[in-house]
Amino acid sequence: MPKRDTPDMLQGTLDMLILQTLVMGPAHGHTIAHVIEHRSEEVLQVEHGSLYPALHRLEDRGWIASFWGTSENNRKARYYRLTPAGRKQLVAETDRWTQLARAVERVIRPVEE
Amino acid sequence: MGWMKYFRRARWARERAEEIDCYIEIETAENVERGMAPDEARAAAQRKFGNRQLVQEEIREMNTIQPLETLVRDVRYAARALRRSPGFFCTAVLTLALGIGANTAIFSIVDSLLLRPLPYPQADRLAQVSLEYRGQGGGLITAVNGRIWELIRDGSPGLDKAVYSASVTGINLAFPGQNRAEFARQQRVGSGYFRVLGVAPRVGREFSADEDRVGGQQVAVISHALWQRVFAGDPGVTGKTIHLRGEPHQVVGVMPADFRTNSVVDVWTPLKPSTGGEGEGTNYHVIARLPESLSWAAVQQQLAAIWAARPRTRRTNQVEEYRLIAFPLQASFTRDIRTPLLILWSAVGMVLLIACVNIASLLLARAGSRSRELATRLALGCGRAGVVRQLLTESVLVSAAGGLLGLAMGYFALSGLEKLAGDLFPVWQPVQVDMRVLAATLGLSLLTSLVFGLAPALHFSRIDIHGNLIQGGSRGHAGRANHWPQRFLVVTEVALGVILLVSAGLLLRSFAHLRGLDPGFDPNRVLTASFSLQDARYKDPVAVGRLFRTGLERMRQIPGVESAAVTLSLPFEGALNVGFHRLDGPAAREQGRTEITNFTYVTPSYFETLRIPLRRGRVLQNSDSASTAPVAVINDAFAAAYFREQEAVGSHFSLGQQQVEVVGVVGNVQSAAGWGQFGPFGQVPFIYVSSEQAPAKIMDLAHNWFAPHWVVRGTGRAAALKAGMEQAAAAVDPLLPISGFKAMDEVRAGTLAMERFMMSLLAGLAALSLLLSGIGLYGLISGSVLERTRELGIRMALGATFGQAVSSVVLPGFWLTLAGLSIGLLGAMAATRVLRSMLWGVTTTDPLTLGAVALGLILVAVAASLAPAARILRLDPANTLRHE
Repeated sequence: MPKRDTPDMLQGTLDMLILQTLVMGPAHGHTIAHVIEHRSEEVLQVEHGSLYPALHRLEDRGWIASFWGTSENNRKARYYRLTPAGRKQLVAETDRWTQLARAVERVIRPVEE
Repeated sequence: MGWMKYFRRARWARERAEEIDCYIEIETAENVERGMAPDEARAAAQRKFGNRQLVQEEIREMNTIQPLETLVRDVRYAARALRRSPGFFCTAVLTLALGIGANTAIFSIVDSLLLRPLPYPQADRLAQVSLEYRGQGGGLITAVNGRIWELIRDGSPGLDKAVYSASVTGINLAFPGQNRAEFARQQRVGSGYFRVLGVAPRVGREFSADEDRVGGQQVAVISHALWQRVFAGDPGVTGKTIHLRGEPHQVVGVMPADFRTNSVVDVWTPLKPSTGGEGEGTNYHVIARLPESLSWAAVQQQLAAIWAARPRTRRTNQVEEYRLIAFPLQASFTRDIRTPLLILWSAVGMVLLIACVNIASLLLARAGSRSRELATRLALGCGRAGVVRQLLTESVLVSAAGGLLGLAMGYFALSGLEKLAGDLFPVWQPVQVDMRVLAATLGLSLLTSLVFGLAPALHFSRIDIHGNLIQGGSRGHAGRANHWPQRFLVVTEVALGVILLVSAGLLLRSFAHLRGLDPGFDPNRVLTASFSLQDARYKDPVAVGRLFRTGLERMRQIPGVESAAVTLSLPFEGALNVGFHRLDGPAAREQGRTEITNFTYVTPSYFETLRIPLRRGRVLQNSDSASTAPVAVINDAFAAAYFREQEAVGSHFSLGQQQVEVVGVVGNVQSAAGWGQFGPFGQVPFIYVSSEQAPAKIMDLAHNWFAPHWVVRGTGRAAALKAGMEQAAAAVDPLLPISGFKAMDEVRAGTLAMERFMMSLLAGLAALSLLLSGIGLYGLISGSVLERTRELGIRMALGATFGQAVSSVVLPGFWLTLAGLSIGLLGAMAATRVLRSMLWGVTTTDPLTLGAVALGLILVAVAASLAPAARILRLDPANTLRHE
């Protein structure tokens, strides 16, 4: 069976954004989604249908770790924090992403003499 | 990583569900803060989150081991597919089960006898020191004489060795002060025999070197079974006295319960070897254990040196054909059964191969008829690998089921075989389906399914999707080209089956030939029982004569008894070999040369009791006694070997110190083959001497190895006869138990036990292969009828006769059968070479056998074609056309 991948964002992008969000400190899923949407000026809509599996995937790979905590308004929430391995991964991922973004930009934009 | 999670899935699922709940809580709270009503706030939160089930499902899937899940799904699918075609499934499973069952049974026997080591510690270091004959035909002689034993004993330092006598004789075992006796099987072994084998007595000790010399103490080691039976397992048994052969022996040891050799023994006594022991004949056997420090090659060198340095006799030139070697003990013990077992093993291997070929051809046919379904799956994006995997899963399922069923069949077949084989083979260890056999069987079934399932699977993963879907699958001519693999398989199957059938047929013919040979006497209604004269009380010929006379008188009084006699050895047995010198006649040219022949003493009534025909002269009479001139009766074979026509009667030879006159010639009686004859029995030269006139020295020696027999011919029930004989014997001498009752017709049947065993097994396997070939042919023909239904319908609608339609379908099957038959007959010519040593009175190219096999196969082919042909008969051309 082919794997289903919701192509709402570029493959791998969501993972990177989650890691980036967690650089500032632990957060729970709701906050993460919120932060991504907010900082991308609402360009990137995070579907929860893909957020939670992504969180799970990242935890599976050991890039983030989770713990139960309480949210700002005293509700139980599952918090995520970046692991050292996740930090490395983020750096590598960001580099790759910037290269790719530059390359795409060069192709799209005509060269200005 | 994923592994652990696989087992903690439940916990993960719970955590995730809870996490999602929390998210919705938080979102709801935010919505409420924005001023929504609580219900609405929750609904909005849920809406925003999306399909919760889907998310959980996706997370769950991340936590699974992909291949395992796929496997489960594949197996489920395959099981469903197989359930849809129970006919195919049952045929395939049964086919495989029959093949695997036969293999399991035979392999268990082969494994326990040939492959598993003998039941001694480090059995691979045990050797039988033997003489290898390097002349015509070659061969191994495991028996040596006293002189050779002494050479080995003194010439091979560092080799742990022991001498023993291979003959096991029935003797009388009595207890001091008790007027009763038991019949026990005694074997004489040298000191160190048990040490070399590496098995210590459970109680007490084995013989010392001092006890194992002429004039040494009389001691005995008893078997565990005898210890239990006679001494009720008394631990203080050592030191007790038992009477063996009328002489007191002190029990010094008891062997453990699981101690086994290649014969059943109750009591061991010291061999007391000497230079000229055992009548100077080659009646000693030597076993040795190689120490860690000696390699086999080094031992061979030692033995070669011993042999080279031996004192030469006059007949050196002849003896140069021999060589002294160390032969692995296991190989030595299994020499006679090796070939038959290996033949059986290859035969069951062939049956399995036929079964596998059949499965492959069934799978091919099935895949062919499912091409549409497979094409659909391919079109729906199930990759080629997926289709291969699915087909493979199906064949693995079939083989797993077949393997399990086969194991059960093999288990039951084995219990039947064990009874058969137990009389034929020295069974070392219980023949059973153990872990080794289990592993071999399961490995085999997996291998077969992979090998034979892969070909069709690969073949059909290349289906032309478009053609199959557009044209409706079972139509068109695309399918026809794919018949070649299946045809090839059917030809292979038939050819293999022919090889088995021919082999079985030849054995059958050989058996019939042997069974039809004249035994030379009338074995019906003759009962025999043996008794031991290896007894101090019967050293005196007068006492022996009295025993025979009074015993026979009593036996003749038993109701229904017609006649009774005593003989030293029975038909079909090996007899005592004696040396004699011819004194006249044309062949006395080499005066003084010792000839060897077979000897038995009998009471004069023997010839009448067994109804052995007299050819010339007279038989022995009661008047031939110790006080009259020694006479002998010879058989046809003896007369043919040493005399010309008519001159045997009245000639003389010397036997021991006596000069004996030949007074009569009788017909040959079947006896154990010897003297250059091979086979289950032969017709060897024989001298019959009256028990009254047998030389005392020969008699005494003979009673060491042979137990004489009472022979009684009578009407009435065997049980009554047996009881009568026991009473008669007990009345004459209560300390002389009789045992080993044998009905002569059973003995006669028993001589062909091995032949019967091989024949019945091979015949069974051949029948199995014939059945499987039939199934294969049927599958091929009925498959092609199904496939061409439409075409045939059109043809018949256009005026083709029924006959033409049938022949167009059935003829290919016939051609295949004929092709397989020809190939198989050629193969059989090559394969039956190994059978040659088991064939008597029939050549490997026996036209009758070959013809019968050919005819049988053609009949099977006809039978396999009938049902599909009948289906054509029911075809309604109009109907077929309507469906277009």
